[in-house]
Amino acid sequence: MTRIALSLTINGQTHDVLAEPHRTLLDVLRTDLGLIGTKENCLEAECGVCTVLLEGAAVNACILLAAQCQGRAIVTIEGLAAPGQLHPLQRAFIDHGAVQCGYCIPGMILAAKAYLDTNPEPDGDGVREALAGNLCRCTGYQRIIDAVLSAARALRTSPPSQAAR
Amino acid sequence: MDAPGKVTGTALYAADFALPGMLYGKVLRSSEPHARLVRIDAGRAARLPGVRAVITAADVPDVRYGGSVKDERVFARDRIRFAGQPLAAVAATSPDAAAAALTAIEVVCEPLRPVFDVAAALAPGAPLVHDAWASYTALPILHRDGNVCNRARIVVGDVERGFVEADRVFENRFTTSSVHQGYTEPRAAVAQWDSSGQVTVWSNTQLPFEIQTTLAEILQLPPSKVRVIVPGIGGGFGGKLRIGVEHFAALLAMKTGRPVKVMTTSEEELTAAYARQPATVAVKTGVTNDGRLTAREARLWFDTGAFAGSGPGVASVATLMLAGPYRIPNLLLEGFAVYTNKTNFGSFRAPSGPQANFAVESQMDIIADALGLDPLELRLKNIVREGEEGPTGQVLTAVGLEECLRRAADAIGWRDRRPEVGRGKGIACGWWTTTGGSSGVYVKVNPDGTVALNTGAAEIGTAALTGAAQVLAEDLGVQMADINVVSADTLSTPFDFGAQGSRTAFAVGNACRAAVADLKRQILALASKHLGVEESALALREGSVVGAGKRATLGELARISQASGGGLIAHGTFVAPPTPYDTKRVEGHVYPAFHSPSFHAHATDLSVDAETGEITIHRYVVAQDVGFAMNPAAIEGQIEGGVAQGLGQALSEEIVYENGRVLNANLTDYKMPTARDVPRVESILVQHPSLVGPFGAKGVGEPPNIEPPAAIANAVASATGVRITSLPITAEKVALALRERAK
Repeated sequence: MTRIALSLTINGQTHDVLAEPHRTLLDVLRTDLGLIGTKENCLEAECGVCTVLLEGAAVNACILLAAQCQGRAIVTIEGLAAPGQLHPLQRAFIDHGAVQCGYCIPGMILAAKAYLDTNPEPDGDGVREALAGNLCRCTGYQRIIDAVLSAARALRTSPPSQAAR
Repeated sequence: MDAPGKVTGTALYAADFALPGMLYGKVLRSSEPHARLVRIDAGRAARLPGVRAVITAADVPDVRYGGSVKDERVFARDRIRFAGQPLAAVAATSPDAAAAALTAIEVVCEPLRPVFDVAAALAPGAPLVHDAWASYTALPILHRDGNVCNRARIVVGDVERGFVEADRVFENRFTTSSVHQGYTEPRAAVAQWDSSGQVTVWSNTQLPFEIQTTLAEILQLPPSKVRVIVPGIGGGFGGKLRIGVEHFAALLAMKTGRPVKVMTTSEEELTAAYARQPATVAVKTGVTNDGRLTAREARLWFDTGAFAGSGPGVASVATLMLAGPYRIPNLLLEGFAVYTNKTNFGSFRAPSGPQANFAVESQMDIIADALGLDPLELRLKNIVREGEEGPTGQVLTAVGLEECLRRAADAIGWRDRRPEVGRGKGIACGWWTTTGGSSGVYVKVNPDGTVALNTGAAEIGTAALTGAAQVLAEDLGVQMADINVVSADTLSTPFDFGAQGSRTAFAVGNACRAAVADLKRQILALASKHLGVEESALALREGSVVGAGKRATLGELARISQASGGGLIAHGTFVAPPTPYDTKRVEGHVYPAFHSPSFHAHATDLSVDAETGEITIHRYVVAQDVGFAMNPAAIEGQIEGGVAQGLGQALSEEIVYENGRVLNANLTDYKMPTARDVPRVESILVQHPSLVGPFGAKGVGEPPNIEPPAAIANAVASATGVRITSLPITAEKVALALRERAK
């Protein structure tokens, strides 16, 4: 099949790739660019492990064509904080014991990031609603919700020096 | 310990693993549930662009493998036994090319009369799922007969006499559905062969050493030619115990000479994985008017699907669960694993636990209601206590059950069981094992004084290896941050029975204790020589050996040993001591006693909408006897997650079959609880120290999954007066039952 030249802006950097037009953003991220922090599971936008930010909104990369993302800013878990640093959400997930197997966590954190960016003063119900598209089978969600609420407080008092690009 | 890598996306899982030049494998699965395989033609598929190999039964050694019964082959050879059974596999340069090739394989088969459930499989004249069952290699203790691949039995006293002694005899029947483990990472494996004829498989198995043995059997190789490495696991819950896709990857890699990756789809997971066995349970219990249990006769039939797999063992465990944590003098308990034309159901967190517990704990409430007794009082009157016997005669110690029941009841406000119309509280209790098996570790002191823990166990997300590392840090007097874990590589790590059965922290922790005992001897002997101080005057404290005013750090001693003695390293091992039981009480039993048993009680407070049947959980309390709470936050995390999974089984999850085919093989229609569905779970950690576990710890991972269905069913009955006897307890089912009663 004919490949097309794509120029993708991921975590503030430009990546030029050649890909068939039917390939998903998830596939290109993982296979072509080695950005394996974005996880693969159901491939039908039900589980949320492939959540990335597209122009700041949480989307499922498994049902998004890479070609649709040209010229739009993509943030993956690798771009949430500078190497060696943690975003307040990442710090809160660790501190609250919200991470067990961890496979859902990158998507969970990015879904939470998109939500907090537009709802800086959330309540528990709001967070539950915002994360309802991200399945976690290990934690029962409570510690994840506590972590997001705690990160929201931390972000209100001291925004990260290097926010997501 | 590993959380920073997981939150930043740098932690590597098997599903992420890739090698240069890697091909992608996919599996062609049968659409027929029961058929004679007449012909399979892969010629056209093999010529498609990007396709590098197509393999069928004709290309692989004709080997039957399996745990307790060797009844399974890699690909169907002449007979198809379930819709989803592997028929062929393809390796291609992209997943799309492999998928396209699957559709080009021609399969010709003639349908046979199927058996879709236990009742059909046990009916007189039922077709046999395995005609040649009697000729299969199997554990000699199993009781097999036709479609029954094991009947495990416990007999105590005389149930008929016990029923005569009873004032009332209760007979009830319950059914449960199949539910999937729901791990978010699909099963995945990458295989690569080297020039010496060794195959390396990177897989997300919970049991690397079992996969090594099974692969060696399938590939007809000595185990040393099979190396299994676990890069990381995105959840297992028992679903990643048995061979999944490793053999397809290894066989395709052998055929192509290239590394091959195989990863399951959601459809494969829901049609052809190791989901929980659906069960039918019949319980007959005799009781005196004042609530004393005199006898129980109970049978549990598991649909094990087309192959035995875990079935014979899980049917055995079920009998211990049917007894419940109760003192009943007369017992006849049977667990059956029955072949049907469905997928090979398997082990899911506390296998057999929720099914048996749902039945017996529902019946306890039925009995209490009929006798006009408080369900909590009925339980307290009959529970096992310190020093008493379990159903097979094991002597029970560290029994924290009464405390669990009382504290769970107090926390939920048991005195006010029906606070308003349509609202009620329910309670359920149970017991569970801490699985035995052996563990080995190497513990090595690095030249900077940090410590490497080398274990054959894999970390599946339960923080069990963190627990083991904590034991190591505590015993050796070093900081947790100074311990690095190397794990799960069959070539280089010591043997471990695997991450299953709530055993990892327990067994690996104890192996660490053994290694530290040896390591301390080495360290003190070396320090004595180095410092010129008698060993008896030296002590290991905070990473240093001190005594007689002198001091040597662990790093210093490691460096001295590296220069002169090959380094400081110790091998520690542990095997759980056998739990004595009365062998005359059991037949066909693979698991006759619970090691270091844990005890637990769950209580919930919920409302039921009278119109829609919808259930709203207000509170959910777990009191669990964990022996010793090594890491309370991690244990609470296990409880919260286990309850969430249990609530899924209780309320919404079911793999729906129609004529042997799954109707909801996708995550849209298979409904796992989301963040909106799971209530806050309140944990109470009860601590009655085990005699065997490290610092008294018991297994904690599986138990929280056991009681939720029974606790919910009992609370729904308390709220509405309607008793639901089948899982899941959907709003639709409750609404229909309410309407039925109103007639």
